[in-house]
Amino acid sequence: MSEQKQMLADAVIRLFRDAGDISSRAEREGFSSALWNQVEELGLPLVLVPEDRGGVGGDWEDVLAVLHPVGYYGIPLPIGEAMLASRLATDAGFDLPAGVSTVAAEIQGQLSRSADGYVFSGTLKRVPWGRDAQSVAAVLEFEGRPHLLLLLLPSAAASVHAAHNLSGEPRDDLYFEAAAVQAAPVASADAADVHERCALLRVAQITGALEAALHRSIDYAKERKQFGRAIGQFQAVQQQLALFGSDAAAVACAARAACQAAARGPASFQIAAAKLRANQAIGLATGTAHQVHAAIGFTHEYALRHATQRLWSWRSEFGNDRYWAERLGAAVAARGAENFWADLTERDDAAA
Amino acid sequence: MQSFSFDPVVLPPGIGEFRAQIRAFLKAELVSTPAVKKANSWAVYDAGFSKKLAAQGWVGMVWPKRYGGYERSSIERYVLLEELLAAGAPVGAHWIADRQSGPALLKFGSEEQRQKYLPGMARGEVYCCIGMSEPNAGSDLASVRTRAERQPDGRWKINGQKIWTTQAQRCQLIIALVRSAPVDEKNRQAGLSQFLIELNTPGIRIRPIVDLIGETHFNEVFFEDCIVGAECLLGVEGAGWAQCTGELSLERSGPERYMSSLALFLELLRVAGPNPSEVLRQVIGRTAAEVWTLRQMSLSVAGQLAQGKDPTIEAAIVKDLGNSFEQSLPVLVQSITDSGVRLEDDSDFVQVLTYLLQTSPSFSMRGGTREILRGIIARGLGLR
Repeated sequence: MSEQKQMLADAVIRLFRDAGDISSRAEREGFSSALWNQVEELGLPLVLVPEDRGGVGGDWEDVLAVLHPVGYYGIPLPIGEAMLASRLATDAGFDLPAGVSTVAAEIQGQLSRSADGYVFSGTLKRVPWGRDAQSVAAVLEFEGRPHLLLLLLPSAAASVHAAHNLSGEPRDDLYFEAAAVQAAPVASADAADVHERCALLRVAQITGALEAALHRSIDYAKERKQFGRAIGQFQAVQQQLALFGSDAAAVACAARAACQAAARGPASFQIAAAKLRANQAIGLATGTAHQVHAAIGFTHEYALRHATQRLWSWRSEFGNDRYWAERLGAAVAARGAENFWADLTERDDAAA
Repeated sequence: MQSFSFDPVVLPPGIGEFRAQIRAFLKAELVSTPAVKKANSWAVYDAGFSKKLAAQGWVGMVWPKRYGGYERSSIERYVLLEELLAAGAPVGAHWIADRQSGPALLKFGSEEQRQKYLPGMARGEVYCCIGMSEPNAGSDLASVRTRAERQPDGRWKINGQKIWTTQAQRCQLIIALVRSAPVDEKNRQAGLSQFLIELNTPGIRIRPIVDLIGETHFNEVFFEDCIVGAECLLGVEGAGWAQCTGELSLERSGPERYMSSLALFLELLRVAGPNPSEVLRQVIGRTAAEVWTLRQMSLSVAGQLAQGKDPTIEAAIVKDLGNSFEQSLPVLVQSITDSGVRLEDDSDFVQVLTYLLQTSPSFSMRGGTREILRGIIARGLGLR
C-alpha cells in the first residue's frame, strides 16, 4: 500500500474505531449527522474526485482503503455511495453535490426536456440512505446516450418508500413526479455501468466485514473455555477458522485486484469475478463465525450480528451469485476454450 | 488490519512479448500431444521435452550464469510456469530440479556440488527427486527413521527406506532427509540432515509402485548399507529440518497448486460451445471467478517471493484453496453435463474427466496435506 493510502486508511480507522457502537445507535436513532460531518471533514466523499475539481484525486484502490474499515466497523453511512455520486457528478461536468449524496443503480422512468432544463418522472429503487440524502445520482439512457441525473432532495416532487436491509441500513424506493433535475451526457468508465461499480463498493465493504467476523471469532475462540481449555485449541475449531481465514484472504485479494483494474478503466470481468467470489465466501464465513460463537453470537446485544447481517444483505445487493455467474459464464462461454487463458493473462499483462 | 498479505503484483513491462514467445514455442511442440496427457502436465515425464525447453534457456532460468542459469527474474519464471501448465506441457522430468532441488543447492550446497550438478539441471538433463516421506513419516516428517552413520573414514553409511518418491526410477539424484544423530524426544527436529545422493550409488534399490490408474509415478527407495562420501552432505549437518521446510515453501507456492484441473475446464468449454445451458453457464461463471481469484493470489505470492519475503502462510492458503478447487471441479463437471457423461466414451472430454476424477484426490496430499496446511494457517491466525 502506498504511503498516501496508508495515511488515509489510518485516519479512517481512527475515526471509526472511536465512533463506538455506531451500528446499534443508528438502528435506534437513524442517520448520524455528527459522524457524517467528520467523514466530510476527512474528505472521504471526494476520494474519487480529481484534485483540480476540488477532490482528493484518489482511485479505486483508495476507495478500498476507506471502505474496508467502513465494512469492518459496520459504519451505517453511504460513504462509498457518496464517493461514486461525487465522481459521477464531476464526470458529467456538474458542481460537487452538497450534503449527503448517494447513488441509485436501479432507475425506471422518463427524462424529458423542459423550458429551463430537464424533468424526470419515475422510480429509483433500493437507494442506499435515500431518505437521508440531499442528492441522488443515477445514469439513464436519453436521446441515445447515457445521461447523468442529479436529483435533489427533499423535494415536493418526490416521495419516499422507506425500507431497509437486514442490518437496518436504509434501502429506499424514491418516486419522482415531474421533478426538475440536472442532467448531462456522461461517458466515463464509472458511468458506463453504475450497477457494476456499486457492486465493487460492496465487495470493498465485504472484505472489512469478513475480517471483523473473523477477528471476533478468533478472539472468542481464544477466550471461551470448554473441557478445561480454550476452544481455539481444538483442531476441529482451528481447521474451520483456517478455512474462514483463507476465504477472507481470497476475497481481500480479489477486491484489490478488481479495484486496481477499475482504477485503470473497464473492469467488468474483474468486478464480476470479485463480487461472485465475495458472495461465495459469505456463506462459509457467517456460518463458521456463528458456529464458533454458539449461542452468545445469536443474541441481539452481541456485536457479531453487525458483521453477519451486513454480509447476508450485501450478498444480495448489486447482484447475487446467480446474477454474476450468469454474466461471467455467458461471456466466458462465448469467447470459448481457445481464448480463456489468453484473456485471463492479457488483462494483467496489459497493465504492464 | 488484514490478517494475511496478498499485495497485488504489477507485472514487468514486456511480459506480454515473453508470453507470446513461450506460446509460439509450445504451440509447435505440443501440436500432437493428446488432451489426456496435457491434463496433469507436471506429472508427465518427457526428457526430450525438458531438453528442448532447456535449449530455450527456460530451465534454471533464474540461476546464476556461472552455474548454467540465465539470471532471469522470478516473475518471468512464474509466467513461464503458468504458460507451461496452461498448455499442458509434459514438464515432469525437470520440474522438481527446477523448482526446489536446484534452489536448495544454490542456498545450501557446496561449491563442488553446485558446479557438478546445476549446469546439467539447467540443460534439462539431470533430474532430482524428493526423499522426504517414509512408510512411517508422512505429515509427521520429523519421525523419519532412515539413518546416516558417520564412518571412521569420514564417509556416511545410510540405511532405511523412502516412499512415494515421484520419478525416482527416472532421476539421477535424490535429496534425502535422514537422521544423522540419535533422536532427542524433546526436540525431534534436531539431528536431521539432508544428503544429495546419486541414485546409481551401490546400496540403493528403487521399486516402482503402481497407482490406482495403473501408472508408475512413485516409488519405494531402499538404502541398504549405502556408503556415500562426506561431500554428499547438503548444507549443515543437523540443519536438515530447517533446510527442508524452506524447500517446502517453494514446493507449495507455485501455479501448479491451482492449475491441475484447468485442462478439464478447457475441455468443458469446448463441449459446452458458445451458448450453453444455464446450468453450464453458472458452473462456467463460478469456475472462471475462482480461477481468476486463485491466479491473483498465486501471483501475489510469487511477487512476495521475488521481493525476498517468505510468505509461508500465504503459500499454504493458496495451496489449500487451490487444491480444493482442483478437486471440486471434476466432481462438479461429472454432475452437471447436459446429457450426462458416459465414462466409457473415449472423447478428449471424458478422458480428461476420468483421469482427473481418479487422480485429483492426491492433489491435497502431495506437498503437504490439507490438514497440515490448515494447521499452518491456524497458526498464522494466532490460534496455535
